[in-house]
Amino acid sequence: MGKYLARRLAQSIIVVFGVTLLSYFALFLAGDPTYLYVSERASQEEIDLVRKQLGFDRPVLEQYLRYIGGLLRGDLGNSLQTRTPALDLVLERLPATLELTIFAMLLSVLLAIPIGVISALKRGTVIDGAAMLFAMAGQSMPSFWLGIMLILFVGLQLRWLPISGHVPIIQPLLNGTFDIATLPDALRHLALPAITIGVFSLSRNARLIRSSMLETLPQDYVQTARSKGLQERLVVMRHAFRNAMIPIVTMIGLEFGFLLSGVVVVETVFSWPGVGRLVFNAINQQDIPLVQASVVVFSFIFVLLNLFVDLIYAQLDPRVRLN
Amino acid sequence: MKQTRFLISALLIAVLVVGALPGTVSAQGPKPDAKTLVVGQSVDVAGFEPQLANSRAEANVLNHIFGTLTKVEDDGKIVPYLAESWTISEDGKQINFTLRDGLTCHDGEALTAEDVAYTFERAANPDNKFTGNIQFVFQSAGYVGVKAEGEKNVIIELKDWSPIAIGLLAEVFIHCKDSYSQKSLEDAAKNPIGSGPYRFVEQKKDDYVLVEKVPTFKVFDVAFDRIYFRVIPEASTRVAELLAGNVDIVTNVPVDQVAAVNASAGAKVQAVAGTRRIYVGFNQRTDKFNTTEGEQAIKKAAVRVALQYAVDVPTICEALLGTTCERANGLVNPPNNNPNLPPYPYDPKKAEELLDAAGYPRKADGTRFEITLQGPRGRYLNDANVVQAIGEYLNAVGVKTNVEIIDWAQYRTTLPTHDAGPLFFLGTGGSTWSAWYDMADISQPKGATNYTEWDGMGGKWFDLLAQSKLPENRSEEKQREIINEMLKLFYDDAPWLFLYFQPDFYGVSNRIDWNARRDEKVFAWQAKLK
Repeated sequence: MGKYLARRLAQSIIVVFGVTLLSYFALFLAGDPTYLYVSERASQEEIDLVRKQLGFDRPVLEQYLRYIGGLLRGDLGNSLQTRTPALDLVLERLPATLELTIFAMLLSVLLAIPIGVISALKRGTVIDGAAMLFAMAGQSMPSFWLGIMLILFVGLQLRWLPISGHVPIIQPLLNGTFDIATLPDALRHLALPAITIGVFSLSRNARLIRSSMLETLPQDYVQTARSKGLQERLVVMRHAFRNAMIPIVTMIGLEFGFLLSGVVVVETVFSWPGVGRLVFNAINQQDIPLVQASVVVFSFIFVLLNLFVDLIYAQLDPRVRLN
Repeated sequence: MKQTRFLISALLIAVLVVGALPGTVSAQGPKPDAKTLVVGQSVDVAGFEPQLANSRAEANVLNHIFGTLTKVEDDGKIVPYLAESWTISEDGKQINFTLRDGLTCHDGEALTAEDVAYTFERAANPDNKFTGNIQFVFQSAGYVGVKAEGEKNVIIELKDWSPIAIGLLAEVFIHCKDSYSQKSLEDAAKNPIGSGPYRFVEQKKDDYVLVEKVPTFKVFDVAFDRIYFRVIPEASTRVAELLAGNVDIVTNVPVDQVAAVNASAGAKVQAVAGTRRIYVGFNQRTDKFNTTEGEQAIKKAAVRVALQYAVDVPTICEALLGTTCERANGLVNPPNNNPNLPPYPYDPKKAEELLDAAGYPRKADGTRFEITLQGPRGRYLNDANVVQAIGEYLNAVGVKTNVEIIDWAQYRTTLPTHDAGPLFFLGTGGSTWSAWYDMADISQPKGATNYTEWDGMGGKWFDLLAQSKLPENRSEEKQREIINEMLKLFYDDAPWLFLYFQPDFYGVSNRIDWNARRDEKVFAWQAKLK
């Protein structure tokens, strides 16, 4: 187990470096970033001066190697826009994104499981049809459209929930300044963006759970459980559902990463101050240190998630051995 | 095990129920009230370093925190602000500002001439690597240095007399020396200590900036005690917040939502002709475009003038920008433009006649020549559609136009290097306060925004520009004369296909009195409750 973890962590570092390399050079494909940091009427002398000041006059490979040197020393550089440490900017925004992702994940999983299971048990009935229709619709709606519709209907017409904005939960918890009285307000702010981001995952998971259950239910061990006289609830949950969960856990683990990466649009629509918007703006401004810091943080999260999924996988299926 | 499951389930259900509880308002965060104004902008403040304000949204916030020596009024008049007056030396190379009495920074430190001098020195210090607007300001004004004389007088030294220096210096945010000489650049970007009507309270990144009225600020009165500058990047969300009464002023209302706002009970849209000049440039740079028939055709003034008649600008404004607009007659914003030049009318027949006369009759396939029109997506109001429409108008007079829409991030890198074009759609910032500022697009023969082949002193334009700087030509009348002559030259030579001044749409709550400005500046301190 220890060897397995060490090997996976070593692989992870290679993956993170690979991702930084690709993203670094990809940013230069959009052209010389210097032009983003000069006035639209800048003279050639001014452009040359700024290029030198920002270090863009050096070969791209040299710039990258310098960056890697800094990374190895734990220095991810300063944002070109704010002149403050890029990693700090990412970590400041991360809690807001995690709140959104975790809440969306909860919504998605908690609703997808009963929908998927009931749909499988009631296969071919009106309930199954309605559930799958909902799932199809959920997967077909673009998140920015759904977000705006929710804003207009739930936020503006009904005035049930806030249209935009953010009341923090994780950051005050970390700082030790969390006030429980703010929780309802925070959750109300979370509701619309979390629904927007979670509907696609909910739909996909519901369909996946349904098909996985449909594969599991006719298995011999499920029939055996039934013939032993076990209650149907136990047959379904303990024997069928547990085995059906194996592919689903993998999917849900990756789903978290998917949700993390998919927050850009939703954070923009709902003015949510998370990493997605930060990265989006940084890419637009070719703020290379900031993009790279985000890439490093996100890569680590993805890699750790994958590792976590593998560990859970082994717990769920004793046949899987991590060594 | 069962108990754990029960607890987890109960917790999750509780979270979902609490989250779903109806609540009409948020208990925390920015909400308008009798003492609080909320402004919704699309972009956040990247930092509070006063010399790194490189977006309008950023400058709008910093304008509330920092004072400037002078300021530009709505009508373009430059008036005293932290300076109560100024004089210009005979040779025009020194501007002597006299500060008001009793100025202080937000930490209580008295603001004197020494502080102003320090502000300029710090801004110009190359070690600080301040990029963007401040460099443009210093370069364009010809800034050389600064010195304090006594407590109240500060002298800005210029390379030469400059008619736009006073207006440009109105963009330098002033702060005190003691506080900033102790600040690292990182700290300055996070914790500003200003000299304006509001002091910085807090920023929640990508969410809002809160500023609070400074009781000791005496230069002018402000109505609201607090102003929140909320960051709401999505235009539809900004409008929804305005209609819900959660925001008082929003910028950039989308054209398709203007009617909805005007039909609401709580807000109205103010449409103003902005100062951004929108045009199609003719890239005449021989080193870039000189091979195809179209590239050579646009080097002829007769062709460029002919194409002015081919495009129906008022219809573009009404159909694609949701407002009426007057066609520009040059590169200068009214009222500083040459009033004697009538905007080119839409007259496709005349365009065809002029193209025939210029030596480009229609060929057998019905076209005269072929050319590429490039334009950005996502930078200017409805830009991609406007570019498509212009392409169609040019096609209609026989100029086979290949429209290329390019993402702004990519497009902007082609502009300073003169690789855009040969026809390129662009909007450059202008002003209400000086014709010279607008004309600075063509201030150098090889300047980044100069796509003409007018070269050195041989060009009449640059000849007149040089004449305008002579001591005997510095009177207002003489300046006006030269400006009008240059603008006539520009009109006749037509290096741009003149379009319009980009309209700006602001959503304003009915509870306040506030007037939108043409120059995209949001001075929220001017807002008052009705």
